[in-house]
Amino acid sequence: MNAVKNCLKVLRESRGWTQGTLADQLDVSRQTVNAVETGRYDPSLPLAFRLARLFERPIEAIFDPDS
Amino acid sequence: MTSNLDRGDRSRGDQARAAAYLRDFLPGIVGYLVVLVVVLRFGNLDGTSGWRYLWAVLPVVPMLWVLRAVSRHLRRVDDYQQRLLLRGLGVGFAVAMFSAVTVGFLGIAGMDMRLSGWIIYGAGMLGWLVAAAFAAKR
Repeated sequence: MNAVKNCLKVLRESRGWTQGTLADQLDVSRQTVNAVETGRYDPSLPLAFRLARLFERPIEAIFDPDS
Repeated sequence: MTSNLDRGDRSRGDQARAAAYLRDFLPGIVGYLVVLVVVLRFGNLDGTSGWRYLWAVLPVVPMLWVLRAVSRHLRRVDDYQQRLLLRGLGVGFAVAMFSAVTVGFLGIAGMDMRLSGWIIYGAGMLGWLVAAAFAAKR
């Protein structure tokens, strides 16, 4: 199954955060952040909502299933 | 391109979870080693007393603590980590089952299989470790 594309890395770097910093804010591992950013793992719905809340954007502005 | 923000340092949460796992895991392993030494020293496993069977299974008791540690670790980590852990356990289980069938047939063919339990255990653990190492590198 194709992974959903996302702009998480761009958003994270725009705030000057490392993957570890973002991981701590989401209460997940750094490996999980890396897997989401590189498209190896589509986050669960709760994690997607936490990301949306953290970056103050709607989920569909972070994740694009059509690209 | 890899920026300075992509470095592979473990987060504080990762370190805390790893430390908690170690705190849970260590008493089981230390207990196992202590009981093993006591059993090998005083268990008289080569004797004829019926008690030797009880002595022989005593080292299994501290391993229950290790099971508890793995179970707690599984509950502590996030969905993606759980998926990787369970995939590793699945590979280990498949390797152990394959080894069990292989050892079983070799036993039917007359090969001495007194250490079969250890062979199956070792193969399963090796399968789990290789799968876990492969997942950690990704």
